[in-house]
Amino acid sequence: MRKTRTTRRAVALAAVAVIGSGLLAGCASDDGTDSESGGDSDGKTVITVGLFGTFGFQEAGLYEEYEKLNPKVEIKQTVIERNENYYPQLLTRLSSNSGLADIQAIEVANIAEVVRTQADKFVDLGKADGVTKEDFLSWKWDQATTQDGKTIGLGTDIGPMAICYRKDYFEAAGLPTDREEVGKLWAGDWQKYIDAGKRFQEKGPDGVAWVDSAGGVYNAAISSSATRYYNEQGDVIYKTNPDVQKAWDVAAEAATEGMTAKLQQFTKPWENAINNGDFATVSCPAWMLGNLQSKGGEKAKDKWDIAQAPKAGNWGGSFLGVPEASKNKEEAIKFAAWLTAPTQQAKLFAERGSFPSAQASYDTPEVAEAKHEFFDDAPIGPIFSQAAKGIPTQVIGPKDQLIQENIVGTGLLQIEQKGVSPDDGWKAAVKAVDNALDE
Amino acid sequence: MSVLKSDPAPAGRTTAPGSGGDRPGPTPRGGGKLSRGRAGSAGGQHHGGRLTYAVLIVVTVIALFPLFWTAVAASRNNTRLAETPPPFWFGGNLFKNLETAWTDANMGLALLNTTIVAGSIAAGTVLFGTIAGFAFAKLRFRFRNLLLMLTIGTMMVPPQLSVVPLFMAIAELEWTNQLQAVILPTLVSAFGVFFMRQYLLEALPTELIEAARVDGASSLRVLWHVVFPAARPAMAVLGMLTFVMAWNDFFWPIIALNQQNPTVQVALTGLGRGYVPDQSVIMAGALLGTLPLLLVLTVFGKQIVGGIMQGAVKG
Amino acid sequence: MTTTGSPVSAPPTHQGGAAPRHRNAPPSREARRRERRSRWYQRDVKWSPYAFVAPFFVFFGAFSLFPLLYTGWASLHKVSLTAPTDMEWVGLRNFTRLFEDDFFWNSLGNTFTLGVISTVPQLMMALGLAHLLNYKLRGATFFRVAMLAPYATSVAAATLVFVMIFGRDYGMINWALGTVGIDPVDWHNDKWTAQFAISTIVIWRWTGYNTLIYLAAMQAVPKDLYESAALDGASRWQQFVHVTIPSLRPTILFTIVVSTIGATQLFGEPLLFNPGGGPNGGPDRQYQTLGLYLYEQGWTNLHLGRASAIAWVMFLLLVLIALVNWAISYWMKKSELGRKAARRRS
Repeated sequence: MRKTRTTRRAVALAAVAVIGSGLLAGCASDDGTDSESGGDSDGKTVITVGLFGTFGFQEAGLYEEYEKLNPKVEIKQTVIERNENYYPQLLTRLSSNSGLADIQAIEVANIAEVVRTQADKFVDLGKADGVTKEDFLSWKWDQATTQDGKTIGLGTDIGPMAICYRKDYFEAAGLPTDREEVGKLWAGDWQKYIDAGKRFQEKGPDGVAWVDSAGGVYNAAISSSATRYYNEQGDVIYKTNPDVQKAWDVAAEAATEGMTAKLQQFTKPWENAINNGDFATVSCPAWMLGNLQSKGGEKAKDKWDIAQAPKAGNWGGSFLGVPEASKNKEEAIKFAAWLTAPTQQAKLFAERGSFPSAQASYDTPEVAEAKHEFFDDAPIGPIFSQAAKGIPTQVIGPKDQLIQENIVGTGLLQIEQKGVSPDDGWKAAVKAVDNALDE
Repeated sequence: MSVLKSDPAPAGRTTAPGSGGDRPGPTPRGGGKLSRGRAGSAGGQHHGGRLTYAVLIVVTVIALFPLFWTAVAASRNNTRLAETPPPFWFGGNLFKNLETAWTDANMGLALLNTTIVAGSIAAGTVLFGTIAGFAFAKLRFRFRNLLLMLTIGTMMVPPQLSVVPLFMAIAELEWTNQLQAVILPTLVSAFGVFFMRQYLLEALPTELIEAARVDGASSLRVLWHVVFPAARPAMAVLGMLTFVMAWNDFFWPIIALNQQNPTVQVALTGLGRGYVPDQSVIMAGALLGTLPLLLVLTVFGKQIVGGIMQGAVKG
Repeated sequence: MTTTGSPVSAPPTHQGGAAPRHRNAPPSREARRRERRSRWYQRDVKWSPYAFVAPFFVFFGAFSLFPLLYTGWASLHKVSLTAPTDMEWVGLRNFTRLFEDDFFWNSLGNTFTLGVISTVPQLMMALGLAHLLNYKLRGATFFRVAMLAPYATSVAAATLVFVMIFGRDYGMINWALGTVGIDPVDWHNDKWTAQFAISTIVIWRWTGYNTLIYLAAMQAVPKDLYESAALDGASRWQQFVHVTIPSLRPTILFTIVVSTIGATQLFGEPLLFNPGGGPNGGPDRQYQTLGLYLYEQGWTNLHLGRASAIAWVMFLLLVLIALVNWAISYWMKKSELGRKAARRRS
């Protein structure tokens, strides 16, 4: 009896103690806000970097290098793996001017919205020391620049697009296997890519689809056209834009003709399918290579190769911005400029495969001579540089991502997985997009 | 081991709250008139049969399988996880992945923070839930039913949206990236109040409170010597449920905190940032984040024991 | 159905207040002390209930009231997550538009069906399991903790596991079906298979949770109730039905209320079931719930005003369910009383 009572009292005391310590810990961290006030005990300036996904700055050793160059600076990063978690957090924090890192990354899909709605919350990096506009691809620069010329983000990587293909399957289907010839097979027109798929279907190995997903085909095709969902004036034109229609038709045909493996990209079944070699081609922005390698493993080594896409396009990429609320603006600007400078971008490409948005780096040996061992030593530097130079200047708009996600995730997926007709699929997509856009 | 602990106290032993110990307290008088005694772990009257064990073991296997597989996945590598069929037994990368996850995700600080956060929230919810639940169940006061309805009503508002205005408030208080931003808003819960109220309605005989009152016990004494002992199993369960909820909470902490001062779930969001996200490291992180939780649950789980009230009214 | 508390209004020290007083013979120190205690005691009885419920309301007022009011206010405005303080008044439009919003009705229907097929079996199983756990068991603590393991498992791990189980091409269930010659099922793309799969995830995740809630309540059932029932020759099953269940009534009511609320706000499981990870509930929204639709409007589409309106409709829906429930039980009680009265009269 006494024992239970003591236990009970102990539990209660512990409870009170924990509440107390919780409050204390909260208060204690009031004093420990070094990351926010921008200095720590050594008198170093701490620059915080807020990222999503797999930038790889730290892994490529760039923080360490900068800290060596600037002994008074210390870099700390916060990474949220998925942009769909990162972006709402960024917006919430921007609107309250609270808890922001000194440097914040912005995905290309969100950049137009940030430029349009949050420009006053970011520092103008366009005229900052150490930033040379001409170093960057002009369209990349313009994407992060407001109408009145304020540049709120510096380009990091881009996603110039190629097509990755399985040489072994191509050979079995009687298609060419050399990357130049494969490129010629469909050069200039996505329709030719579908036609090649038809040939593949006739003679290719059983159980192997031409391409992973209709959504992948659509994303690639729309990425290579100059206009998408908005016109220059900022009106939504996706319903009537012939470029959208063309990309849709190509993707819908791939779906209705049964050329796809009916997968959703970046899901577990898609990874399984890569590992099992269930499809012969996939649209390959530079950052896709890592997926094919890590999911495919040893058994896929040297089976994949890389050819030019029918039309050059860009899929993905990011920017770095410095919020006005940053407590170390000067240092943060300097660091952002350094991180996105051609030399560092070239290093990042060599280490991590993120393709530079700084065109000045394309002639550096790190880029020009880059080969990828897993892809049978394909010269990825020249391949993606060539693609990058051909990327059209795209008209982008604030809700691009939303529109695209609904077209792919509702329209194309219904055709592909539920056997809906392309017309009905388009209607379903339009309905979903309109609902998503209507505030 | 736990079998012994959950044994009901022998019937004859007096374990009346406040009366059995060496300190004077309100001894219920005339308890003999009460018709029903409170039993110790009452249903524990029978030993479980073979069928009972069989069912429980099947359920346990189903319940634990994803956790087991987390450990398996954490011991493999990214490529192996993409293969089919998936692995069902351990590979050789466990310690390597755990180490990567530990350093990449700032796991030491994250575990400490989460223990503080979940511990505070569980303690607060149990303490405040019990006293408020007691008041709603057994005390009479003006506006009682209205206040109870209000409490239950607050559970009905979906939580997903309050994050935005809550962040505005937290930013105003300059609590961003600090632990009190995740502790204080959830320190009490309508769930806890309602749960304890419903439990105490049946589990706490009104006669016991009356007896203590007749002895002149103050409300705090009643709380300490009558309510808390009677509420112990429910407090343990509420503690478990709240602790887990707070431990795994993700939606609000990811808005309010960052990885310089993370909880486990916030730390895990940054994991697997290799060339491409590495599933095996992510699973290793998930494992690191879950195992300590199970240890804490074991401590709580032993407290789901009736028996405190045994003999209290039989006198 | 409940025993409501009756605080004792006549404390034992009360007679102190009635101690004889004489003007020229001041009350003894003892008497004064008793009087003071008595007054203090009465104040204690009167005010302590408020003190006991105060912490909840103080914290609620401090941290939840503002979000609640904000959400209510936002539901009457056009407001985007890109600028949450920048509101444009639209009156009730965010509510009225829901009548023509097919996606809203679709998610309402899904919420209802998913709620029914996941909540009912879950609570029944929980009750049974709690009964088993309430036996004297070896390793009781282990079983209790194991019950809660699904609730404690990280969402990332659960997602991966259920994708492996319900996968179309390489899923474990389809593999098992294949070995007995049944064609693979596309779990995600058919409305009913998807809902069935999600309900199994819900049941997996929450059964143990409710089991422990029931177990706690069972621990408090008086043992002699079982003893007298056993003396009357009741079997274990009869004891369960006639002793355990009635004693658990407030707790069962609690789990029903909480599960109804949980089912209405169902969100995590359908989200983790979607291989693409999005909140649209599949290409045809075949398993989008109200919770997901609200999330999609607020966090994907960034329309805080529309999302707030959905949140408030969900709230009103629950209030409506509560009222209907109350009305039904009221009428049942009334008619029962009427029947009893009629019987007495005859």
